[in-house]
Amino acid sequence: MTQVLLICIIGALLELDTTYAFQLTLSRGIIAGPLLSLVTGDLMAGLQIGIFTELLFIDISPLGGLLPPSAAVCCTLSMALCSLGIPVYFAFFFGVIGAVLFSVCEVLIRKYRSLWLIRQEHTILRKPPYISIVVIKALVLSFAMTLSFLLFYSAVIGGSVARLLPFVPEKLHLASKFAFMAVPWIGMATLVSTFRLKTR
Amino acid sequence: MTRWMQFELFWRSFFLQTGWNFAKYQNVGLTFVMTPFLKNLYKQYKRDLPSVLERYLEGFNTQPMMASFCFGALAKQEERMAKAKTLAEYRERLSEWNSLKRSLSITTASLGDRLFWGTLKPFTLLLALFIWLALNINFFEATPQQEVYWIDVFGACIVAFFAFNAVALFVKWKGISLSYNAPNNGCFGLTQFDWNKTIYNTKLFGMLLALGLLLGGLYYFLHDLETFLGLQFITRAVIVLFFVSISLMTRDLRIPNMYLYIAAMLVFNIVYLF
Repeated sequence: MTQVLLICIIGALLELDTTYAFQLTLSRGIIAGPLLSLVTGDLMAGLQIGIFTELLFIDISPLGGLLPPSAAVCCTLSMALCSLGIPVYFAFFFGVIGAVLFSVCEVLIRKYRSLWLIRQEHTILRKPPYISIVVIKALVLSFAMTLSFLLFYSAVIGGSVARLLPFVPEKLHLASKFAFMAVPWIGMATLVSTFRLKTR
Repeated sequence: MTRWMQFELFWRSFFLQTGWNFAKYQNVGLTFVMTPFLKNLYKQYKRDLPSVLERYLEGFNTQPMMASFCFGALAKQEERMAKAKTLAEYRERLSEWNSLKRSLSITTASLGDRLFWGTLKPFTLLLALFIWLALNINFFEATPQQEVYWIDVFGACIVAFFAFNAVALFVKWKGISLSYNAPNNGCFGLTQFDWNKTIYNTKLFGMLLALGLLLGGLYYFLHDLETFLGLQFITRAVIVLFFVSISLMTRDLRIPNMYLYIAAMLVFNIVYLF
């Protein structure tokens, strides 16, 4: 459980890099996956989850106000589930579902943040240095909300799947492995069309 | 603008998106970035600062790496406004400031989205994948028993990280001074780079790399099978071909990859179960 907590804390910090701070691409799959695997010690699982996450989400970019599923959240949840003893092909599937759910939550958070910021703007206009405090508060709130989501999802979904796992028929393991193996091919085919030369 | 002020804008630009919201987008971030410059510019007229900040707290949205061009250009225009001698002149420059903020944010967003999210990010991913394949790391299998070294794994990560950030940080840093020092007909320093050529060349190179990766991946996925054209070989080849063609088809229909994977997971499980 300590491992899950540590993965979730690192994941929530990495998630800040997706949008709210730095944007140095530390949160992208191929970096977040291997980084999180340092906690579990399973480098290959981290690498595979990272690559598959990035290949799966490569066709959705954060253009305008569009919110693609977070690669950092997907990697964190997948690695947290892996550390609970869930096979990588199941963990990744629930990681993807978790990332999609998180993007829905993120939309709601951003809507409510607008209301919170309206009140903060009045204070900023009265005391301009207060803007730094608003930025720090926004960062801390984002971190806290992401961490809560990651912990809740890992505990509920991870716990349920880990308990159900002994009853899952072997056929379902095989089917999930097959679907998991399809991910790099889906992603690599998308990569080829991503580089279509349309700029001239 | 002093070098120290440029550094302050650059450092604060990492928090441009901190207060991202659906009502005014990056307004808090823009105000946070510009505050030191505005404080310095209006240090003699501290009572005017709130009304200036009010303008910056209006809606603003652009691509974060290219936003530096907006910071420099807005700072320059703000200086011109501060130096206005008459109210009419001030109003004219204020109107220019408003249209500059709107038009430049749209232009930089369009360029930045194409360059960073549409080209450079997939390109650096390809680079990392190529390195991993060259190091014989088989990431295709569902239950890999392979022993990998952390130096091999993180080596490619570091290459991808630095390749992306070298360009991103250069544009972030240089954009501030280029747009601030641009002459009136200089398009805010944006014409200093041939963006289209850069994107075109990177995409061309990326296309070749992507095709190479696809073929290399196919070889890697199939070469270790003992019997060429045996049952396992054909099954694997059919799966690969099926998903590659489905992925190309769904791309034209604008269906995201993740739905394809979720559908595959559900269909396979149902088929296997019954």
